[in-house]
Amino acid sequence: MDDSPSPFRTPVIPLDGPDKVTGAARYTFDLSLPGMLHAKVLRSPHPHSRIRSIDARRAESLAGVAAVVTGADAVRLPDPYYGVAIRDQPVIAIDKVRYVGDMVAAVAAIDEETAYRALSLIEVQYEPLPAVMTVEEALADGAPLLFEAPAGGGAVLVGEGVISLKEPRPNVLSEFGYRNGDAEAVLAGSDHVFEDRFTFSRINHFHLEPYVNVARASSEQIELWSCNQDPFVLRNDIARIFGRPANTVRIHASYVGGGFGGKSFCKMEPLVVLLALKAGRPVRLCLSLDEGLLTLTKHAGVLVLKTGVMADGRLTARNSEIQLDAGAYADASAMTVIKAGYRITGPYRWAAVATRAYAVRTNSVPAGSFRGFGGTQASFASESQIDMIARRLGIDPYEFRRKNLLAFGDPFQPGDSGMDSDLLAGLDAVVDRLGYRRRAPPVAGTKRRGTGFAIGIKDGGGTNYAQALVKVLPSGRAIVNAATVEIGQGATTALCRIAAETLGLPLDWVRYGAIDTDHTPLNSGTHVSCATTVTGLAIERAAADALRQLLEFAADRLGCSTGDLTLVHWTVRQGNYVHSLEPMIDDYFGAGYEFIGRGGAGFAYDPAAPLGARNLFWIPSWVGVEVEVDCETGRVVVKHLVVGADSGTSVNAQACRGQVEGAALQAFGQSLFEELRYDGTEPVNATPLAYRVPLASDLPERYESFVVEHGGPGPFGAKGIGESGMLGVAAAIANAIEDAVGVRLTQIPFTPERVLTAIEGAR
Amino acid sequence: MSQLIDITLTVNDRSHRLSVSARQVLADLLREDLQLTGCKIGCDQAVCGACTVLVEGMPVTACASFAFEFDGKALTTIEGLAAGGVLDPVQRAFLEQNAFQCGFCTPGMILSVKALLARHPDADEPLIRQWLDANICRCTGYQMIVEAVRAAARAGAG
Repeated sequence: MDDSPSPFRTPVIPLDGPDKVTGAARYTFDLSLPGMLHAKVLRSPHPHSRIRSIDARRAESLAGVAAVVTGADAVRLPDPYYGVAIRDQPVIAIDKVRYVGDMVAAVAAIDEETAYRALSLIEVQYEPLPAVMTVEEALADGAPLLFEAPAGGGAVLVGEGVISLKEPRPNVLSEFGYRNGDAEAVLAGSDHVFEDRFTFSRINHFHLEPYVNVARASSEQIELWSCNQDPFVLRNDIARIFGRPANTVRIHASYVGGGFGGKSFCKMEPLVVLLALKAGRPVRLCLSLDEGLLTLTKHAGVLVLKTGVMADGRLTARNSEIQLDAGAYADASAMTVIKAGYRITGPYRWAAVATRAYAVRTNSVPAGSFRGFGGTQASFASESQIDMIARRLGIDPYEFRRKNLLAFGDPFQPGDSGMDSDLLAGLDAVVDRLGYRRRAPPVAGTKRRGTGFAIGIKDGGGTNYAQALVKVLPSGRAIVNAATVEIGQGATTALCRIAAETLGLPLDWVRYGAIDTDHTPLNSGTHVSCATTVTGLAIERAAADALRQLLEFAADRLGCSTGDLTLVHWTVRQGNYVHSLEPMIDDYFGAGYEFIGRGGAGFAYDPAAPLGARNLFWIPSWVGVEVEVDCETGRVVVKHLVVGADSGTSVNAQACRGQVEGAALQAFGQSLFEELRYDGTEPVNATPLAYRVPLASDLPERYESFVVEHGGPGPFGAKGIGESGMLGVAAAIANAIEDAVGVRLTQIPFTPERVLTAIEGAR
Repeated sequence: MSQLIDITLTVNDRSHRLSVSARQVLADLLREDLQLTGCKIGCDQAVCGACTVLVEGMPVTACASFAFEFDGKALTTIEGLAAGGVLDPVQRAFLEQNAFQCGFCTPGMILSVKALLARHPDADEPLIRQWLDANICRCTGYQMIVEAVRAAARAGAG
């Protein structure tokens, strides 16, 4: 741990703040191009059907309609499928629809009203097929198949000896297998073995800025203004789909109105390009939030954990089987299932581990990236079971964890990086704030209090890369160019602060440049809580490169060596002499010269690491909860919620706090009430009116957060924090419920109905 | 062809004479005809509150209100709050307390708070939480927003 004082203690006004509090901030949502058309999408009412025919002639002849696109157009594209690693999702349905809400046809027209009217004129003949709505149905013998032929792409690359399979059996999109030691033998030699099953729910991202894209396309160039958080990923997908060289595809990013994973990777963007090509005019497609609810979800799933423990409370081995519901198309499921499978051990020491994890196709909304990325599912199951085992053995849950936690520096698994947080210190902080050791004895009555805690864990990315430019003007004003997208996580401020600190400039002299793949350096995407660490390193190096150039220039002009000089607030100090830089630059180059620093950060494939890259940093989540459970109604009220995270070093403490609290409230909502529900083949609450997200009045009575700084691999010792708050909340609440009323909820959300059923079942 | 209705609106102290379609909602009028794009449309169903603007000081969801209903009324949008470039105390509190992340809900949130503090300058936390239920923020977890509202109240925003 690094005890040196952080240069970032002073609170700052976020650089994107003035735009955002005055309404001046421009999102892709706000963009309008001359001659721009508006698009709408016809969606499947069936969960699984063959498309016999589509008659769009009446729609095409409606006044104001410029283009109608169907699978007949998509099938003529060089490669009409997208998905992460495994590519099975067509730009628009080809031959089949696979979930209620699947995109069947799209219209570009002079306005949205005309486009809607045109949709109603499209006649689609369906031949309904039997659907599989759950993982169990999908895996049953003789189950209907979502896909008759193999998809494009390949399995996700992992380390040597680790299993990663594409489409290993019917309706299974991908499989992950990891072993360390002989888990079966170790379990056989354990004093106790406990097997428990956990069920995780499906939620939607519900970002307030809808999915919105504007495309302008010709035979020479494709240009897209997108709310997507991965401009380069999108550029490469669009180039591949349309068979164009990637340097003829240009993606622009603006402020993004929330994403939480929902706006990562390719989705409806190529459809907008296809419409623009066919119409010969720019096209805007803005989905409604209802359509957003039908576009992507977090993975529902079933996790079965078999865990061994010795009589003295030492954990021995864990054998896990995980089935995540991938929905109808791959999206990022193949990666998510690997992460869930790898993280299922939690932050504990094991003699042996065995995991099988599957992404299973069903006729429901595709699942993909969601803040936590498999870690939320894994942490819920793992931290629930750890608590259950402690209680079964009569060991205090705190002591049980303390005994088994990974220590600072312990590798998570052999070949992976060491734990870089003091997990026990974080747990102690939660326990202290919760008053766990001073808690009142249980009181009989209908409303009972209980406390619980949990330590969630996930890795912070492996094979990420970023490049950056820092351009310094003669005035000392600087522009940072990097393709991490400002999605609300505070990247603008954090990244500019890193450049400003490196160059010794005031923060408000540094601006984050607009993002456009033609001009902005490459980046693997705004993912994995990695912006401050990976893009931050690239920017720190670019700023250091600019600084070096500046000092070399000044040393040359002053006839001294660079070692004699320091740059302080845009003056060059040489001993007691202070030289102004701007006139020195102008005298030599003429007015307007810029110094351009370049930097990059990347992490190579490492076959010895289980996931093919040693994890860059660990993201722990410490959560403590006090609940009050009403035994007559089953209602759970969270009286006190404590959430802690490790920022390595906080580049912006207020932004870190916002990340932790925002993520934790999302997890809180999912734990207690939020869920995208299906009744049979149809989602029943896929509309903002019925889909309930946390409101201000849902806040726990006391809501505390804290951020520790245990050091990290990023600039100034920073590491990522954005997903942390998502991880431990559900298990902590379940643990507190058991503490209060002695029943165990293994399925989220913990609705009054479920809690009451459990209480009545225990009587 | 939908019927056009002549209306007069005062928006951010400027008077506009407009011909609006009977079907046009206020949010579209503000965004498209007056280029006041600070009025965001999230859910488009009067649930999320991102489109909140003030009509005679009262919060209204502009996405679900017909423009013609506001004939003769005075409206305030987020663009009208910083008179002469000086931030309103509520805007300043949101800025200083970092009470936003993606910022998409922020204009509606700030206007909603403006209306709250105009009526209840000493709003306590339960009332603040209750009032903010009209505005969804998916990013912040609300607590930093609640703190900004309290800071604005202390600064005499009401």
